[in-house]
Amino acid sequence: MGKIVSIHSFRGGTGKSNSTANLAAHVALAGKRVGVVDTDIQSPGIHVLFGLDESSMGKTLNDFLNGKCEIKDVAFNIGENVGSDEGRAQLAGKDIWLFPSSIRGSDISQILRKGYDVNLLNTGLQTLMKEFDLDYLFIDTHPGLNEETLLSIAISDVLIIILRPDNQDFQGTAVTVHIARSLDVPNLLLMVNKAVPGTDLDDLTKQIEAAFKTSPIGILPLNFELASNGSKDLFSLSNPEHDWSKGIRKIAEVILSIP
Amino acid sequence: MDQETISQLKNIDWFDELSDDMLAGLAQKILKRTLKKDEVLFQKGDEGNSLFIINSGWVKVIARDTQGSDIVLNQVGAGEIIGEMALLDNEPRSAGVVALEKTEVLELKRVDFMEILKQQPDLALSVIRNFSSRMRYNTSYIEKITEMSKRVAKGDYSFIGETQASQKGIKQVSDQDKIGQLLAEFFAMVQGVKSREDDLKNQVEKLTLQIDESQLKEELDEITGTDFYVKLKDQAKKLREQRLDNK
Repeated sequence: MGKIVSIHSFRGGTGKSNSTANLAAHVALAGKRVGVVDTDIQSPGIHVLFGLDESSMGKTLNDFLNGKCEIKDVAFNIGENVGSDEGRAQLAGKDIWLFPSSIRGSDISQILRKGYDVNLLNTGLQTLMKEFDLDYLFIDTHPGLNEETLLSIAISDVLIIILRPDNQDFQGTAVTVHIARSLDVPNLLLMVNKAVPGTDLDDLTKQIEAAFKTSPIGILPLNFELASNGSKDLFSLSNPEHDWSKGIRKIAEVILSIP
Repeated sequence: MDQETISQLKNIDWFDELSDDMLAGLAQKILKRTLKKDEVLFQKGDEGNSLFIINSGWVKVIARDTQGSDIVLNQVGAGEIIGEMALLDNEPRSAGVVALEKTEVLELKRVDFMEILKQQPDLALSVIRNFSSRMRYNTSYIEKITEMSKRVAKGDYSFIGETQASQKGIKQVSDQDKIGQLLAEFFAMVQGVKSREDDLKNQVEKLTLQIDESQLKEELDEITGTDFYVKLKDQAKKLREQRLDNK
């Protein structure tokens, strides 16, 4: 049975796109058929991690939402276009597709101005699950809780909420956790990212358990190398020994183990 | 030479243990010079062959930065000494000195000082004793800094409170007291490190995470009150089940 895995964070800057891309890559490496959809239409970003830029990008989610193409036309086959970057190269021949949002300013402003039918997005997601026979569809959502984000939460089998260990993210995460429970999302996972050195992990775990009534599936460290590399490659594949990469692998295993 | 010059000489660290007779001998060799405003006493790189005591007025000690403009390292006024090391080591001047206003300086030339040393072995002994006590003084601070470095490495900053007073004390000894400057810089560094560490700890401690329940309720009501949400909640389960059936 195919699963929709939405990755959400209340604010930007939590490392959502990097986490999504690296998790999806590990699931694909495990031999699963994986789709990655960038529904962060306002500020798309995950395409960079899969080696796409404006010139290499074909049809986009925006074209689909504007009725200009079918959802299958949006697919970019990553396994056949891995390029030479050390991390991404490991995905060669794997079944993993990216469904990117347009990075053209005019496309973004058009969709923000005119809006689009959220139901059409839902139809598109359901269709590509079926047509690509996906085991997992990862949805990189826009931060906050707008309609497309609420939709992706509602249809998710697994929702991963990424938060940084600070008060603002806790407050926002509390909102998302409540919404997800109210929408009966079957698997709600909390992932802490960008924990500063010296963080008391046991204490943080206890506080998360007390606040959200669930344990974090991972507390990943602030990754200075990832920040300074400008994030153009899949870090957990090119730097497998890094603590951050180990944390990602552990979470990928959790995702794979969900029945 | 007047009594004033003798008491000026006494102010010099090296000479403070000399007898008045010895000082009177030295004072005879002292030359008085008057500098006009902006007059250069010496430039960086000049041969260092005499010591100066500022009798009245002010001078600035300057160096050139990499862009070629002057930066003022220090201002020196009446009673203070410039270039004392030149009496012994004859090294080129490490910085330039320019009068900020009309300034009277007393000059003791190296050749004259050496001549007196030859005539008065007691004076030489006295200078050596002085050097030795300076060295002891410096060594004691090196030991102190070594000890403190070890404590910083272990994250122990407890000495900051107890040693601040003596840090000020050292600064007053002499501006040329390089070891005192080192200690002052060392303290500034340790305080900087500690304050950054405290900030970081604070950030981590702020993780006493609080969720504002009334704000949470407000935000939830705002979302769950929309038609979109009501419809979505109604359909959510069906949407998931439909898909599962498809696969």
